[in-house]
Amino acid sequence: MSIESILIVGGGLAGFTVAQNLRTRGFTGTIDLIDPAGIPYDRPPLSKAYLLGDKDAAGIELAPASWFSEHRVGLLRATVHALAIEPLGVELQDGRKLHADILVLATGGSARPLPVAGGDLDSVLVLRSRADADTLRGKLAPGIRLAIVGAGLIGAEVASSALALGAEVTLIDPVETPLVPAVGPELARRLHAMHSGAGITVVHGTPAGITRTGAGRRIELADGRVLECDEVLVGIGIIPNTALAQGAGLATDNGVLVDEHQRTSHPGIYAVGDMARTRSADGTLQRRGEHWEHAMNTGATAAAAILGQEPPVHGASWFWSDRHGTHVEGVGDMNAEGTTILRLKEGEPVAAFNVAADGRMLGAAAIDGGLMIRAARRIIDRGIIVPPEALADPEVPLKKLAR
Amino acid sequence: MDTEKSPGLPAVDLGGEDLLEPGTALLVPAETSGYPEDIGLFRADSGVYYALDDECPHEVASLSEGWIEDDEVECPLHSSRFCLRDGKVLCLPAVRDARTHKVQVLAGRVLLHPGTAAGGN
Repeated sequence: MSIESILIVGGGLAGFTVAQNLRTRGFTGTIDLIDPAGIPYDRPPLSKAYLLGDKDAAGIELAPASWFSEHRVGLLRATVHALAIEPLGVELQDGRKLHADILVLATGGSARPLPVAGGDLDSVLVLRSRADADTLRGKLAPGIRLAIVGAGLIGAEVASSALALGAEVTLIDPVETPLVPAVGPELARRLHAMHSGAGITVVHGTPAGITRTGAGRRIELADGRVLECDEVLVGIGIIPNTALAQGAGLATDNGVLVDEHQRTSHPGIYAVGDMARTRSADGTLQRRGEHWEHAMNTGATAAAAILGQEPPVHGASWFWSDRHGTHVEGVGDMNAEGTTILRLKEGEPVAAFNVAADGRMLGAAAIDGGLMIRAARRIIDRGIIVPPEALADPEVPLKKLAR
Repeated sequence: MDTEKSPGLPAVDLGGEDLLEPGTALLVPAETSGYPEDIGLFRADSGVYYALDDECPHEVASLSEGWIEDDEVECPLHSSRFCLRDGKVLCLPAVRDARTHKVQVLAGRVLLHPGTAAGGN
């Protein structure tokens, strides 16, 4: 069957990448992208440059409006109510029905609510969308007491931005040192210490309930401590938006199940980005990827698969985070069974490498060490064996080792 | 394409042609070139010299501190890649191209033409 029309549901990075890659790969049929927010935008700046006002809405668009007309990608500002299977298509909230030869689901995730009394209050802030960032920005003012539940990537980044905007920030996490799985304990300790160093109140504790107190909020912790604040932001991860897929009978399990080519259990429907979860050929369910690059990579894979072309090869997973004027990156797997090799600078760890018994690098993380991570990524992807003493030696440029 | 034609400045002699090893880069500060922005001078793996505005078109990051491979540079912060020959952005998160500056190797000297696009006159 020749494919003449493709409908993409969801205009985040993953959905946009599908459209973009379909065109670069030569697809000349109809492409429509449906999203209630209009022109696709980039989300990482929502907790940083956009929240701080350094970039405006146009500054975070993934492409200008002219790109969509030039590339004949239709943008539908609408919400999808349900998927249709026979014939394949979608039903919009306003009742309109659209059909296409191929559907791509790129519906992303929603902020995971805090599972305690008051955690679902309307007044509890989250940060997923540009509208969420606008709301948060509207609340932030000098002297505002902002409590952030969850000191992972979003929580840490908002804490840093809110502090810069003059807020009094309290950062709460049940884990004493967050981000250990992502960057290893040594760098995680250093990163977490930057919060208190910058003037943020860091609380190690588990919220048990949130109540309103007049204009403010009160957070009770499980150990009985009580925190008073003006606003609460919860950043404890996402729940994949699988309702449309489930409604259409697609296989799901904490995400829409896809094969290595992003195909769902329906041959005409693909899923990409945060909400897709890979089931390998042998049936193993992989961990659902939620990082920026994963969204882009899965979109690129889906575009190739839809057109029956050779799918791109993606290397080790990669993420970054910016806070307190420092840049953090991680690549590969810092959790896999291996030995940690640290690279120190003036007594402080600047990079950590996770190396397997056979000498292969499994993962790497660095603070303000972008070139090291770019080198580590190639070392991992190419299976280059690097002497551990060279990894530890700050005088050895990793780039030489990656060639 | 950039239709705004900024007047090219006089060429700046940056040094001998072995100034940089292939696959490395150098920051040419605005004070050195006379151009309003810092410029990154890059030597591709092939040995050819190129120059781009040093600041990544995405966010504040120095492309001359980036990863050079073949004739591309990858931003050291968010990994957007740019073609050294024409400044074209090759992947997100950057969406705008980097501005190029003409570089000549004449009589064994590396000459930077600040404000003159590569391939232009």
